[in-house]
Amino acid sequence: MTEVILMAHVLFGMLCIIAAVWLFVDVLNANEGNQGRIKTMSIAVAVFMWLAYLVGGYWYLVFYAADKAVILKGPWPFAHNFFMEMKEHVVIMLLLLATFLPIAASNNLVINKSARKLMLWVVGLVVLIGVAMDGSGAIIGIGAKVGLMKG
Amino acid sequence: MDTINKYTASFGASLAITSILSAVLVVIKESSENTVLALMKNLTGHHWATHGLFIVLAFILIGFGLAKTNNGQGLKMTPERLIAVIVGAVVLSGLIIAGFYLFAD
Repeated sequence: MTEVILMAHVLFGMLCIIAAVWLFVDVLNANEGNQGRIKTMSIAVAVFMWLAYLVGGYWYLVFYAADKAVILKGPWPFAHNFFMEMKEHVVIMLLLLATFLPIAASNNLVINKSARKLMLWVVGLVVLIGVAMDGSGAIIGIGAKVGLMKG
Repeated sequence: MDTINKYTASFGASLAITSILSAVLVVIKESSENTVLALMKNLTGHHWATHGLFIVLAFILIGFGLAKTNNGQGLKMTPERLIAVIVGAVVLSGLIIAGFYLFAD
């Protein structure tokens, strides 16, 4: 069951990144025809991010202690000491960025070039930080794996 | 000149403020294990849950608070300045958090 929770966390995180890339392309080509889709996709990014945060947060609070002990005793203690510690706090910033997207998308992006630019910067940050969080998660997973292999 | 609606400016500024606040809170709580970290653990059972709850609430309250300034017209800020403030705050916050766990913790 714990694996399903962890996989759901990764799935929602990946869906958030994919939706953000989709949104970036739509905003680049903002026109009367895709205004509605831009609003829908900005909400989708926020919803996927909240789901990833809540599911990952539940797993972190309830199940991570055992993995943490394995990681710290293994050959990759930095997987927790740096990557997990950094990830669990940077992800809060990512949550705020994703939550801000539907608000920024409420401007008329077709006629307002500056609002479009703001959206592109925020979506770009969501994608970049999202990929960094995904990579950090992979390092944490390998940290647990090499810890178990050593034991 | 292009303008953005009051909620975009207000919540954008709130995003920048709470990002910095979150990074500063990381440094404060990790440097004060017996006081701040212990208090945060007591509030929800885990310091990270308290951290997230506090920052999300701050984001909402500051955002709505800024939207009520200027007689209800909200915070006045050009989109270009808002972009600089958000990107600057997010990069600085990321550097504070990563730098803290890399060098200070």
